[in-house]
Parts: sequence; structure tokens; C-alpha cells
Amino acid sequence: MNPEFRRNLWLELTPRRIALMVIILALIFFAAAISGGKDYRPAAVAEALYYLIVVLWGSRNAALSVVGEIRDRTWDMQRLSSIAPGAMTWGKLFGSTIYNWFGGAICLAVILAYRISHDGPAPALLDFVYFVEIGVIAQAGALLASLIAVNRRQHHSRLEIFIYQLAGLAAALATFWVWEAADPENVFRQARAAQSIMWWGQSFGLQGFLLLSLGAFTAWILVGCYRQMRLDLKMTNGPSVWFAFLVFIGLYVAGFDAWLTQDAAVAHWHVAAKRLALAATTYGVLTYIMVLLEPKDRVLMRWIGSQLRTLNLRAALGALQSWMMAWIATLAVSVALILWLGSYELNAARDQALAAATLGFIARDTGLFVLAQSWTKRRGDFSALVVLLALYVLIPAIMNGLGMTGLQFIFFPKETSPLWLTAAAPWAEAVAVWAIAAGRLSLADREPGPILQAG
Amino acid sequence: MIEVRDLVYEYPSGRALWGVSLDIPPQTITALVGPNGAGKTTLLRCLAALEPPYRGEVTIDGLNSRARPREIHEKLGYLPDFYGLYDDLSVRRSLTYAAWAHGIKPDAAGAAAEKAASRVGLGDRMEQKASELSRGLRQRLAIGQAIVHSPKVLLLDEPAAGLDPAARKELSALLLSLRDSGMTIVVSSHILAELEDYCSEMIVLDKGRVAGGKPIKVREIERPRYLIELASPRSDLGEFLKGNGGIDVIEANEMHALFTFTHNPGARAKLVRDLVNAGFEVARFAESDRALEEAYFAQVGKTGVAA
Repeated sequence: MNPEFRRNLWLELTPRRIALMVIILALIFFAAAISGGKDYRPAAVAEALYYLIVVLWGSRNAALSVVGEIRDRTWDMQRLSSIAPGAMTWGKLFGSTIYNWFGGAICLAVILAYRISHDGPAPALLDFVYFVEIGVIAQAGALLASLIAVNRRQHHSRLEIFIYQLAGLAAALATFWVWEAADPENVFRQARAAQSIMWWGQSFGLQGFLLLSLGAFTAWILVGCYRQMRLDLKMTNGPSVWFAFLVFIGLYVAGFDAWLTQDAAVAHWHVAAKRLALAATTYGVLTYIMVLLEPKDRVLMRWIGSQLRTLNLRAALGALQSWMMAWIATLAVSVALILWLGSYELNAARDQALAAATLGFIARDTGLFVLAQSWTKRRGDFSALVVLLALYVLIPAIMNGLGMTGLQFIFFPKETSPLWLTAAAPWAEAVAVWAIAAGRLSLADREPGPILQAG
Repeated sequence: MIEVRDLVYEYPSGRALWGVSLDIPPQTITALVGPNGAGKTTLLRCLAALEPPYRGEVTIDGLNSRARPREIHEKLGYLPDFYGLYDDLSVRRSLTYAAWAHGIKPDAAGAAAEKAASRVGLGDRMEQKASELSRGLRQRLAIGQAIVHSPKVLLLDEPAAGLDPAARKELSALLLSLRDSGMTIVVSSHILAELEDYCSEMIVLDKGRVAGGKPIKVREIERPRYLIELASPRSDLGEFLKGNGGIDVIEANEMHALFTFTHNPGARAKLVRDLVNAGFEVARFAESDRALEEAYFAQVGKTGVAA
């Protein structure tokens, strides 16, 4: 048996705790049964308890599974073990939540017994899949958030742990919504009208499409947990899996071109241009998300730089952070979009300039995150967000109030005359920010620094 | 067993190790000493493949720490300066879990746990919970977890911190027995007198660099260090010893001399005779029990607390 899972069994499933869970749940179900109200029948109460025990409490335990080890100073011993990252991941994910699953299993038994007796086995099977899925996705989401955070720093406050839990709860909420939409027969959730969905020009049944999508994203969350665990066990993640995810998410989102038929700005574009725009937007959003989440470790960046200088491309590629690859994907797809617009769309110069400007702003903003991190280690991301708020909202609003709207192209993508300035301004800003950031990184390499960390 | 070449390690806040190079031979106990902030813990974590080098290489038993960290982890036992235990697990379960986690098969894990417990003197407390153990016993349990898989290399960061004198003595005996069983041990500590008991090599770290550029051999079994003290001064003490075959004088003045000499009792007896016959009033002739401290202060060139 997985040693980590076994250890969790020892700690979590003690006879006293098992008895406590059984007795408390039995009393609650008994109380619900004798109260007789529709909202308090045992199956309804079991549903609520399942969300409470598996989703809410389970996601907290999952968020604590590694962070708690760090807090209790046992993580180094685990990292130095022979436990493989896959085994460590599932040992933590299901081991730390085994007590929740034990309670959840009792609740699920009550739910399924009710469903089988009232609706038959098929809806009960759907219920089973749904409840297991929402539990797994909530806990895996919380674990993934905590693992990403562990890579950023080793100390985590209660509030931060709550935020990791919230990530899992957000995933659970998305799952709830998807199942609600995917349940047109009103078998067990509130129904919406049955719909089909257009994807890559084909019509698919909404229910099957959403269920498959949910399965795919759950799988990616679990892969994400595994990859983050590898990093924490000091293994190197090559770029291939993140690259595969980028391809997946690009193709997945690009298939929803039908959404853009109502958008006047792009409705006249060829479907290929719309798909490129959707993929580029997705990559751009991913770039922002990942640059915010990842550590932006300047030591790592200098190391990547040194590997590139010595043409050790394999090592450099292996150390690329996810935001860097997402940015490269944004650049590649955006350039393809700009070229396509130039070749196949009439009067595309404005759209081309705006696309190039957007790219420039993304480049500038990622540079701001890196620069802010080099200035202040602890609050770097917060500082960068404040600067971005000022650049995108506050300063343009002030300029607007002063009647200086002509300079807004400096702050966000906006057509200006001459047209080339629309793109040139953000790219000039990006070059300036990155030049300062690069200067700070190399400056730190030359100067002896004090030893501020462990002895 | 352990090779470090031009190791540079950086934290985002600054550089901690500046081109450290060293070799640690197998089956030795090496003391890692130096002032606070010298980089001892960072070096140990690099040796444990918990921190990848910014530049340079760390090789443990032929494995590169950046390329094959997990294989190094399998060969290592590491006790950090601040460690935790699973308080609700018994000693048996703590050690059994550590055995499983280090790849020992389930049918052999029980025996490995028993052996480790016996080695660290916890054989009679197997069913006691970790939370019920005293500080010294918790330390032993932590060491037991680190050695349960009989690692080739054992890294200990301040293992004697907080231990009473009796527990320190037991720790010394344990480390010597582990070395004799084939382990290569690196111990970081600021208590030089305690390290004297079992260390044969010393690495002095100062400001992220190895002071003196290389590890120092502080004790040789066949050629220990001896100290002579005279009752009345003789300015020719050093010259006399140098003229005596087989003696390497480390330092000498008119009242005392420190030198290495054969461990042979007959040769030592003859040396004392020669000294007395030459008119030296020998007040003391003994093996130096402060070899490490002398070597340390010779490197850092100052007095006071080591770390």
C-alpha cells in the first residue's frame, strides 16, 4: 500500500474518530427521518452533509496536506523519501481526506438508497458519478492551489490556506453548474432547457459535451497536482506536458467560434481568424494567471539566462516557467492572427495594430511582475497589481477627466493616428520595462549579497 | 563519497555559497562548523539535493544532485536543525512509515524499524507515542527515522542541540557505531567540544566559503595529536622535537608544543624518556583532546564561540 496513504489511515481513521462519525451521522439521519419534512428527509440532509464533509471540509484538508507538513516540519523528511511523485500525490489527496470520504460514503449510501428506491438505478448511478466527481475536483483544486503556493514560499497563513481551499470550492461550484446544465431531464438537479452546443462547427448534445469537458478538466487538474508535486520533490518538469495543455486549451476554446458571431468587431472575420483570436486570448489570459501564480524567482531567471548563453537549451527549456511558455504561445498565435488578417481580411490594418498593441501590453505587464518581484520580494505581485490598476484604470480616468483622451493609447490598446503608434507605444514600454528588469537581475548577479537565509 | 565542485547557491535575497569545493571520503565523520550565517545549513541542504546548485556540482556516491535528486534522496538520511515528528504515531509506526517511505518492502519494514529503534535506544518504547517522548528521545526518534533504511550518507544539522550531556555522549557513541557500519556522516554543530568525540575531518565555512580552501584532517588514528607542557621554559623545545624522527610539529613555544606522532605506546614512552634525559621538565604529555578547536581557530584566527 502507498506509504503516505497508509500513514494517513493511521492518523485519520482511528477507531474513536470512526465511531464518532458514525454516531453523529446516524443521529442526524434519525432526527431527519422522524421530523418528516420534505426538506429534512434523510436523503436531502445527506446531500447537504456530503457537501459539508467532502467538499467544504475535504477541500480544507487537501489544502493542508502539504502546507501542514511544512508547518509541522515533516515535509523535508517526506521529500527525502523514495515515494514517487504520483504516489505522493494520490497518497496526500485521498489520504488527507480519507476521514471526509468515510463520512461522505455514509451520506452517499443514504442518497443512493433514496434515489434507487424512487427513481431507479440509472439516476442513482449518475448521482454517484456526480458526487464523487465534485468531491475529487474540489479537493484536487485545493491541493493544486496549495502546491503552486508552496513553490512560491514556505510560510502560509491561515488566510492563505483558506484561499487555497477557495480554489477547490470554485472548481466545485463550476462542477455544480456544469452538472446543472447537463441534466436536462431534471433527474436530480434543477433543470435548464436542453440545448446543443456548437464546437468546431459541429453540433453536440450539451449534456455529453459538458460531461466530457468536465472529465478532461478534472484530469488536467490531477496532472497539475502531479507536476507540482514533482517540482516540490526537486524533479525537473520538462515543457512537454504544459505544452500539451496549451495545445488542448487552445484547441478547446478555439472551437467556440460560434460565440463570436454576435460580436460586431470580429463577426465579419473568417472563422479561422476567429479561432486564432480565441486561442490567442486564452493564452494571454493564461499568461496573466500564471505570471501571477508562479514565483518569478530571479535566481531561476538568471540561471535560465546562463544556460541560454552557454547554449544548454535542454536545461533552459526544462526550467521554463509556465507563464513564459504561455506568453510564447500568445505571441505565436497572435502573429499568426496578424498575418492572417493581413492576407485574407480587407481593411485589416486597424485590427492588426490593435492585436500587436495587445501583445505589447502583455509583454510590458509580465515585465512589470518580474520587475516588481526584483524590487520587493514579499509584496512583489501585489505591487505589480497596484501598478497595473493605476496604468489601466486610474491614470486613464484622470486623463479622461482632464480631456487628454488622445494619450490613452499609452495605457491600453486603442487606435491612434498614425496607426503604427498604436502598436509602437506599448512595445516601447515593454522594451523599457524589460530592460530595467534585466538590468536588475544582472546587477544582483555581480554584487555580493548578504546571506539572509538559513545558516 | 561526497564531491562538491565550485558550488554556488543563491537565495533571491543574496548569495549564500561562493564556489565551495570539497571532498568527503567514505566512512568518515566530518564536522561542518562556522559562524552563524556562514552557509552551513544551505550547504547541507545542497548535499541533500533539496536545493539545486546555481552553479557547480554536487555529487553523492556518483550521482549528480541536479540530474538525479531522487536517487540521492534514496541514499541519504537527513536530520534538519528544526524537524518535526508525527506526534500521534507511536515509535513503531513512525519508524515503520519511515522504512516504507524509504522503499523498504512491507515484510522487511518491521524488522528495519526494530533495528533502527534498537540503534537509537528506543527499543523499549516502541508503543509510546512521539508526543509522549522527552526532547532527547524525540531527537533519537528523528535520527532513527533518518537511518532506518541504512543510508550511505547521513547529514545531521545541529543534532545535539538541546540534548543533556548524557544524551550527547550517547549520540557520539551512536554516530561512531554508524560510521563503523559504513556510513559517511556530516555533522553541522556549533559545539566543538562535542564534535571532538567523533569527527575526523572538519570543514570550516566562513561567509559562504570554505576557510582555508579545503577540509582539514583533524584526527588520524595512526598519528594522533599530542600536547607537551613543560614546568619550566626551554626555548629549544620545538627544535628538539623536530630533530626527533617521526614528529611533525604543528606549533611550539618555550612552554608547550603540539605535534603529531605515532600511536605506538613504545615510541611514545621512548620520546618521554628522551625529553627527560635531555633535561626537559615535562609536566604533561597527552593526546590532545582539542584537535578540532585548535584547527578551527587556526582557520578562523579568532577566539570565542564557534558559531
